[in-house]
Amino acid sequence: MFDILLWVWIILGGILIGAGVHFIPVGGAPAAMSQATGVGTGTTMLAAASGLTGLIGAGSAYALRPGDFAFTVVLGGVSAALMIAVLAFIANVMYVYGAGVPLSSAKVKYDPITKWRQDLYVSRGTEGHGSPMVSFISGIIGAFFAGCGGALVYFALVETYKAIPGFSATFANYPAPYYVSLAAAFAIGIFFLNCVMASYNIGGTIEGFHDPKFKRIPRSIVASLVVSAVGGLFALLIGVMLPGGI
Amino acid sequence: MAEGDQSPRRLMTIGIVGALIGIYLANYLNILTGTAVFSFLAALGAILAVYYGADAVRRVASYGLGTGVPSIGMLSIGAGQVAVLLGLAVAKNYNIEVAAPIIALILAAIIGIFNGVMARRVIKMNIAIMEMSMTEIAMAASMLILGFSTTIAGSFAFDKIMSYVVASGFIIAVFIVGGMAMLHPFNACLGPDERQRRTLDLALSTGFIAMLVSGIAAGAINGVQAAVPTLIVAIFGWIIYYLRFYADTKEDAAAILSTGLIPKEEELA
Repeated sequence: MFDILLWVWIILGGILIGAGVHFIPVGGAPAAMSQATGVGTGTTMLAAASGLTGLIGAGSAYALRPGDFAFTVVLGGVSAALMIAVLAFIANVMYVYGAGVPLSSAKVKYDPITKWRQDLYVSRGTEGHGSPMVSFISGIIGAFFAGCGGALVYFALVETYKAIPGFSATFANYPAPYYVSLAAAFAIGIFFLNCVMASYNIGGTIEGFHDPKFKRIPRSIVASLVVSAVGGLFALLIGVMLPGGI
Repeated sequence: MAEGDQSPRRLMTIGIVGALIGIYLANYLNILTGTAVFSFLAALGAILAVYYGADAVRRVASYGLGTGVPSIGMLSIGAGQVAVLLGLAVAKNYNIEVAAPIIALILAAIIGIFNGVMARRVIKMNIAIMEMSMTEIAMAASMLILGFSTTIAGSFAFDKIMSYVVASGFIIAVFIVGGMAMLHPFNACLGPDERQRRTLDLALSTGFIAMLVSGIAAGAINGVQAAVPTLIVAIFGWIIYYLRFYADTKEDAAAILSTGLIPKEEELA
């Protein structure tokens, strides 16, 4: 019972995750010292934070309304976007009131959204500070895409594993059946595969959709397509390999 | 780029063969004796895979990935996890459970090659050994996941791994702690004075910490008989290799100076 449509969802999910990373203001180590624009940590940690929150959102949505595609995907996206919004906001509070730096971008002269002057506020020798409005909005858009992608992957996997005989059992007194655990574990794996590929594409840091590095997005889409096609195929084949269940 | 006393081929043999021997011994000795006492052997095998994986991470990450060392470890663990579960399912389907670890290893290598080719040819990362390294790290990752999972479940049969490791949620602990064991050593030791022996001694030390975590999880599944040998070996192993790492660090340092305590305010005046 190999469902091509579910495979397509996984590939599409992988592409959305990879594309979403390009919108998120990933500052990396320099941003942690408020010397570059973005949230001061690497893609791996940002992906873990927003991706796992998105997964929890998607998992809860699926548990509430099993089989409801749109509800699962949108709630996954909203949860991830919420996480990035909180993360970038708290980081901004720390940059402004803790480190004492104004939020500014070094890549553009005027913020494309607020039209505020940026270059005057960039300290000499740095690449900007914190997440200004354009990065913040871009991050929310990106996290929504990535969260929707993660939820698509989770939805496809959970629909596949639910059909395997014996996978509706639960471990000890846990409320979650086997198929939820397996789908969640693999969704995390495929999420990491795609977001790390995308972060290699941006060279570790990006400010948002106004950054020149954003133009590299087609390469990331090809890489995500292949990586999630292989990963997704492997994950879906488990359903084919267990016709009798466990 | 990163040179060392131990050649990559030698480490590959130690890592892959060692891990397979450990996993097979643990599984079949447990079946023969009808207990779960020998589960710790699989974790020892997994530590050898960590040892090998840490060297592969060290070789590729010394080129500078641009995203931090953890990224490649997390990517490979994600790939390895899917490969392991599929490998076990394939073995169960064709009734060749004996070959499960080897199938998992081959599948991990396949997924690793795809990742490596994408990273080098499509993303255009300028790292010549990318394809090989991604494959090696994915293989090491699959062995460490299977090793620690076998320790927890007491066997590598699909049904047992599925219910005791995946459904119980311990798979996430194996994912993160195993990944940390493999990627932390180079992340901690990187720099111009990085030396293979020091990094790999730290890898063994972090491997034993991961074994400690899997020992606690094994206690929850198979009780005292699985937990006690695992925990004893893990604690002694960790102490030995942490002290050895400390000795290596002292040896590699240019000089060790005692700065004394921070002077009090009145002494400064």
